[in-house]
Amino acid sequence: MSLWHVRTVAPCMEYIELGRACYPTTPPLWGPDGLIYNGHLITCPRHYKQTTNDVANFFYEPGNDWLVAHIILSTTYWPSWDVQRYEFSAEDGAWLNREEVLAKQAFIGIWGAAWTRDGTMGSFNKIYACRNSETAIREISWRTAEPVSGGWWVDSYTWTPKSIYSFAVVNRVDNHFAAIGSWTLDCWRHLGTAPERFGQLRLPNTLGYLAYESRNYCWVVTKDGVILKADYQVPRWEMISTVQNPTSDARNYYITYDTRRKRVVVFRWREDAADGACRNQLEFYYPMVEAGRLTEPVPVTSLRAGNRIILAAHLIGDAGEGVTPYTVEGELLEPVEGRLVTPFSGTELNGRVCFQYQAPDQACTETLRLKVTVEES
Amino acid sequence: MYEKVFESTKQAQPAQSGDSWYYLVYMSTWDTFLAQSIWEWSRVFRDGTRVKFATTSGGYAMLARVKGFPAYWNQWTGKVHPAFEINGLPNPNEVLNPNWDIGYSLGPSTQVGKFIDDVNQVYLHQPNVNRIDLYDLENGQKAGEINHNAGEYFASLAWVQPGQVTGLCRTSGKVRIMDYLSSPRVLESGRIEPFKVAAYDSAFHLFFAIGTDHKARVYCREAWPAALSAPVFEPATVYGLKANRVKARLTGQDGEPCPDWWVHWELLGVGGNPPLGYLDRLVSKTDKEGWAKNFYFGPDDISAGQSRIRTWGVLY
Repeated sequence: MSLWHVRTVAPCMEYIELGRACYPTTPPLWGPDGLIYNGHLITCPRHYKQTTNDVANFFYEPGNDWLVAHIILSTTYWPSWDVQRYEFSAEDGAWLNREEVLAKQAFIGIWGAAWTRDGTMGSFNKIYACRNSETAIREISWRTAEPVSGGWWVDSYTWTPKSIYSFAVVNRVDNHFAAIGSWTLDCWRHLGTAPERFGQLRLPNTLGYLAYESRNYCWVVTKDGVILKADYQVPRWEMISTVQNPTSDARNYYITYDTRRKRVVVFRWREDAADGACRNQLEFYYPMVEAGRLTEPVPVTSLRAGNRIILAAHLIGDAGEGVTPYTVEGELLEPVEGRLVTPFSGTELNGRVCFQYQAPDQACTETLRLKVTVEES
Repeated sequence: MYEKVFESTKQAQPAQSGDSWYYLVYMSTWDTFLAQSIWEWSRVFRDGTRVKFATTSGGYAMLARVKGFPAYWNQWTGKVHPAFEINGLPNPNEVLNPNWDIGYSLGPSTQVGKFIDDVNQVYLHQPNVNRIDLYDLENGQKAGEINHNAGEYFASLAWVQPGQVTGLCRTSGKVRIMDYLSSPRVLESGRIEPFKVAAYDSAFHLFFAIGTDHKARVYCREAWPAALSAPVFEPATVYGLKANRVKARLTGQDGEPCPDWWVHWELLGVGGNPPLGYLDRLVSKTDKEGWAKNFYFGPDDISAGQSRIRTWGVLY
């Protein structure tokens, strides 16, 4: 299984422009424009008043059918930081509150973003998050990221073994809970009575973000863009893939699951452009197959004159996962001396295709070309 | 030497400079190979395509498991964990050796491969370069041994079929296929080129190796001929008017038999004289021991003299 790339919105957001020519050198703290924090942002070629410092939370908010990101910004203006709530359309990634954010009207206060992190949707369409200031996992407000008064909470530090987490998915219906510190997904059950850690899954790399899908499944994106789906009630891995074109300029990846459209959305925090422009982007994926490449056919039986020879190749996705169902066509290139017994072959679950070739009774050199047609996304 | 059926032009090399492969195991559900280096886990395909999907973290040493899967030994706990079929990562929720912790001296390393059969509760350990000890996973007691006399540790021990493993030597390229269950012994010997890491493809019965030049090489399990012996008569005395059995043996580089190859026969005269008698067949196929057999009929008169039998094989 793989991920079908639906759409990328790049950039998905903007920073506030300086509104005048940028400074040729780093400006003094006090100058004609008043007090300037972080003059680097407005020194040529950069000319924006903001840059991304951290993405505190990224989640699908089902009530409004929005994607919400709480982003901490470094700024040139007082008090050198800002925290804005960015709202994107879950349908097409359009930035819905652009005017509000660029007017600094979507300020949510520092406390939610600073003390709450890595929120994701959980049971009953509510947002849950771990905390920087305590060991509890709490229901939070999607607006401000602050704990909801009287909301649901648990403290994993009171369980055995005592645990502190950065990321968590909450399944209150089955009293299940899955959480990650950095490398391991810990799966807990009997949340309401006697919490028990009944299983663990080791991640392929340190975590980027964790997202809730359903009562059984959660999604993981690692720091280097590998996406996995896990059944946290078993527990076991269900699939592995990657984001499209993982780039080295990605600072981190954030993932959420759109439960209405049944698809994955990744927020890629990228380095700013040379002029300081925002390059953060949203990527939408369907959990479907998409072929990335076709390996060369390799003979797997003795290459002898007169023999029926089997050749195997694989159709794979970006993480090397097999993709199916596709039909791969084989063709012998001129000069043809033998015979291709299997002119086409369907991919198996692991992406393998096998071709049979009947060799002639004398020595020869043949070239087999494989071709697969993948539908445009 | 086994027949090399493929050598890649692609280089299957870890991404980071200074990194090198430590382990390679065939994953039967993927029909490809899981390679572990210092810093990465990758899938390596037979054509040398390499796809990194994970970063390694300390504490797990890979070993081969029954039915063509990897397993992971944790040196701190002595437990062996299976791999997830989806992504090959260790599954710490399951333990294959609950009754016996495999201690530090018995665990796998990059130089000395180990093998676990949790179906039949057997663990294969190499105490020296010429022997494999079989341990009972139930109680940790030694239950038998295989003397293979390879003279080098098997860097890889890999599953072949029920009850059989293969050992692959990194420096000499020596290969042994061994029975470890019903009657522990060496069943087959052969050789591939020296390699960095190697594994056995239990789906198509191939040897797959990544060389120090990072090229992927695929060998099928048939010996490539290197020598054809002089024809010998059986019995040695040749009579006229009789079908005299004559045979020649086709062998590989290490004397291993080469079955199913055509051997051509020709009867030649000596000293300008025409050949005496005749051969039954002009070509014959080698049997499973590598012998190609023919009959020589001596002259049907009383003439005496010498003839020569020439044999040759064509390698394609």
